[in-house]
Amino acid sequence: MTPKTASGTRTLPPAAQVEQELETRAFKLSEWMAQQGIFLFTAVLVLFAVVFIDGFASLPNLTDVFNRAAPIGIVAAGMTFVVISGNYLDLSVVAQVATAAVVLIAVTNAVGLVPAILFAIAIALVYGIVNGIAVGVFKANAVIVTLSTTFIGLGLLRWLTGGSIYFGESDGPIRTFGTTRIGPLPLAMILFIVVTVLLSLVLTRTNFGFMVRAYGSNREATRLAGVNTPLVVIGAFTMSALGAMLGGFVLAAFSNTAVSSMSDGYDFRALAAIIVGGTSVFGGRGSVMRTLLGVVFVSVLTNIMVLSGLGFGFQQMAIGLLIVLAVSVDALARKTRAA
Amino acid sequence: MSQTQTDPRPPSEEQADLSTSDGLVARVRLILSRRTEGRAVALLMVVWVFTLLFEPLVWTSYEVTLGRIALVGLVALGLTAVILMGELDLAVASTLAVSGVIMASFDSLAVGVLAALATGLIVGAVNAFFVVVVGINSFIATLGMLFFLRGAAFVISGEAPVRIADVDAGIAFGQPVIGPLTPRMLLFIVAFVALYIFLSHVRVGREFYAVGGNRQAARDAGIPVVRRVFTGFMISGFISALAGVINTLERTAADPTAGSTVLLASFAAAIIGGVLLNGGRGSVFGTLIGASALGMLQVALTLSGVQVDVQNIVIGSVLLLAVITDPSSLRAAAVTARGLFRSRSERQPTG
Repeated sequence: MTPKTASGTRTLPPAAQVEQELETRAFKLSEWMAQQGIFLFTAVLVLFAVVFIDGFASLPNLTDVFNRAAPIGIVAAGMTFVVISGNYLDLSVVAQVATAAVVLIAVTNAVGLVPAILFAIAIALVYGIVNGIAVGVFKANAVIVTLSTTFIGLGLLRWLTGGSIYFGESDGPIRTFGTTRIGPLPLAMILFIVVTVLLSLVLTRTNFGFMVRAYGSNREATRLAGVNTPLVVIGAFTMSALGAMLGGFVLAAFSNTAVSSMSDGYDFRALAAIIVGGTSVFGGRGSVMRTLLGVVFVSVLTNIMVLSGLGFGFQQMAIGLLIVLAVSVDALARKTRAA
Repeated sequence: MSQTQTDPRPPSEEQADLSTSDGLVARVRLILSRRTEGRAVALLMVVWVFTLLFEPLVWTSYEVTLGRIALVGLVALGLTAVILMGELDLAVASTLAVSGVIMASFDSLAVGVLAALATGLIVGAVNAFFVVVVGINSFIATLGMLFFLRGAAFVISGEAPVRIADVDAGIAFGQPVIGPLTPRMLLFIVAFVALYIFLSHVRVGREFYAVGGNRQAARDAGIPVVRRVFTGFMISGFISALAGVINTLERTAADPTAGSTVLLASFAAAIIGGVLLNGGRGSVFGTLIGASALGMLQVALTLSGVQVDVQNIVIGSVLLLAVITDPSSLRAAAVTARGLFRSRSERQPTG
């Protein structure tokens, strides 16, 4: 509070004063890191990998990296809406991705592809609406709510499937989707980019996207402006659920198999990608395109660790650390901005 | 603080319509409204009735039930200290796993136990550092720690259960010492009494409520908020590490995947026990009642042959219900519902 009153008593005219403040702000390191750091970090990481990691710069490996990035990227793109709306994250994507994958393969085998997709969409809507109502209407904490829906959803899935693995038909449409390439690009990769661009347009160009961003930066003001805020939250969680569903489809198509444990780690990888990309976990600031960059970063990092022989434990440690560090930078940037 | 502001009616209006014969009722109602354990008591009643009717084995094999309550309750006690301050510690389950693994990787039992407990304190301090010094929301900070520590448990253990060096000590630890009480239950009772005294009769502990109720007011009143938050997170880390030590001793091996069901059950116990997630309200008694209800529920489900997956569904639903029926959640939902059924023009008082 005191620095503000001190600057107010200065004799500079207001416009010049604002300009000066803007100038000093531009050079705050923490803010720069929070905003633009991802470009530098990704570049450094890729450079490091090219120079020091054997086998990283080969074409098959790079294609593999981006192929693996597709499902996690689609999940993260959808979850970005929840993060920007200021509701931290959607932990239940783990359950949603696995459910969508199992439903796609199992129901396609039993009934057909179209019923499978419709059924999966219905499940995604249920997830989005349940999470959204608990968070948006009851104003319950999103972390706790999605933690409990994760356990309910995974419990249901494992109970109903008995933990068994489902194999798709060897020449079915799912298999075809998973293996088709257009030019050098796998179809999954193209779907990932299309979904990202579409969701980015939804966030930046539609009324709904505007309301999500407004709600994330100031809930009370958004409510007073006459926005139906519970609907905005339900919408954000539904976007996340639909993203998780598509991610589950792509994941199932890759191996043409589905099992309830196949999405382990999707929650924190998606969150890490979103936060590292520069979307603020405090809500209101961020974009789907940034998440795309974050996904590239997290995928390259994971690939480096796999190529160096570091297992799942090390990957979890690294990504947990990454989340804390990225949020710390964001928090420090906010402090600088407020001072 | 929010609960005191939201009631728009003047207090006198409420007292005016009470005739003298209703005075006692009103007083009882007032006392009840100050307590926060209502939902836990209701759940415990339901569980009692159901277990008496369908699974009386829960009562006859009470050693098992008490052991389960101690397992769920211990972690929930640590959580209570943190949630009272309006923060949350999601890292408890991972702290439990990693401290067990660290303990088992030492040859000497005593050194291992000390190292594990020290780990808990360090984890708590690191959590608190990120929350109050860096200023990250505790949900996100401890979520990052959850992933980090879970990974660390895998790395230290080599992704497989680690046997403790002194298996005999572990077996002896699982035996009852006083009556049917095993060391685990005694430690739970000690932790409960200690935390009760700390939170209700020690100045530092009572200040936790102030920090949770209104942090700025607490700071203005001269309470060292940063130090209190550090204390709270270190209590939570220490108690989770203690639970990890007890688990490892009883099983004579440390499991890096331990604690995922404990996380859910202990959260449910603390929240349904009436510890307000916004902080400032709640008691260890509520947590005890919540832990008893959930422990009995889990034992009853296990004894009835219900799979772990279905148990997870049940406990997850209890947790979801617990956060939704939180007084502030119900109030928020009521506001939304009123907004749906009343148009803007009708908001003015008409008569």
